[in-house]
Amino acid sequence: MAIKNYDELSSLELDTLKEIGSIGTGNAATALSQLIGQQVRIQMPEVRIMGYNEAIEWIGGPEEITAGVLVKMSGQINGIMLSCQQLEFVNLVLRNTLGKEVEDYFGLHEMECSVLIEVGNIMISTFINALSSLADIQIELTVPAFTVDMQGAIMAVPMAQYGGQSDYIMTIGGNFVCDGKEVPCRLLLSPDIRSLNVLLRKLGVSGE
Amino acid sequence: MSKLTIGIADMKMAKGEGMLITYALGSCIGICLYDPKIKLGALIHIMLPINMETGRKSPMKYADTGIRETIKQMEAKGASRARMTAKIAGGAKMFEISGGSLGNIGQRNIESVRLNLKKEGIRLLNEDVGGSVARTLLFDVATGQGCVRSYGRPELIF
Repeated sequence: MAIKNYDELSSLELDTLKEIGSIGTGNAATALSQLIGQQVRIQMPEVRIMGYNEAIEWIGGPEEITAGVLVKMSGQINGIMLSCQQLEFVNLVLRNTLGKEVEDYFGLHEMECSVLIEVGNIMISTFINALSSLADIQIELTVPAFTVDMQGAIMAVPMAQYGGQSDYIMTIGGNFVCDGKEVPCRLLLSPDIRSLNVLLRKLGVSGE
Repeated sequence: MSKLTIGIADMKMAKGEGMLITYALGSCIGICLYDPKIKLGALIHIMLPINMETGRKSPMKYADTGIRETIKQMEAKGASRARMTAKIAGGAKMFEISGGSLGNIGQRNIESVRLNLKKEGIRLLNEDVGGSVARTLLFDVATGQGCVRSYGRPELIF
């Protein structure tokens, strides 16, 4: 049965989404690992369905500054995919690509930003490619957009986009572990409700 | 001084004194409504321009129903529409995306808030809208003064 809201998802459907998160994040981690020449592991990805304010608390408070790479999906699936890169992650990438670190986000200039965009873009594309071949669906991606700002406002982008449909936001994704240390890089997939139904049907878990 | 935090799609009021705060407005807009005579202030954090939801469970999510409902609640506490003024902040475009309607929500919010304030006969005293920066909005109910905090920009008092 097609769902009308995220909270109607059955436990089988949630497990399926978790599996997608696991495969997608795993592929993204492999891509990251090749880029930075370091071993990267993933933590158990989560599927979370949260109210707006809950989601912002979950990511670490509204005013915290973060770098965000955003890609919009269209085709058989509509949605937004975000890579929220906190300073620890930023420095992990910069250290292993440009051989330098920054003290804060003001230290990011053109070169550093374009590395971060590229890393975000490659991780997102790898995630989406895995999803697309797994479910046999066509997904088109926009060119990545980038900003450094308060993470509350960045998280609000997918919320506002689908806010007319739902009071909740669904995110699928997880953190990385690199060099034995947890690195907070949140890869977040937020599909709209219609696309979620398409996805679950294609994967054969929505009984119709 | 008491501090009240307003989440997304939320509204809070304070009378006499108190600081109303809403964090990280991106394309969302924070609307301060104020009756200076009785020092009654309200801060709304809206996310979208027009309420087309059936059931209308969260009026504060939208500019039109948010403004209307807040004025009603302020009037119930003794505020007068003729004295009421507004200050707004937000409506930024966080990401520059080629193709797609993604970036326009901020602009549509700004237009809807201005239109609805006009429709309700509320004077818009000051605004800090548009651009591409996130804003945290503070509103001091004792003085009616607003303050906008952004990343990489000096604080703005309005």
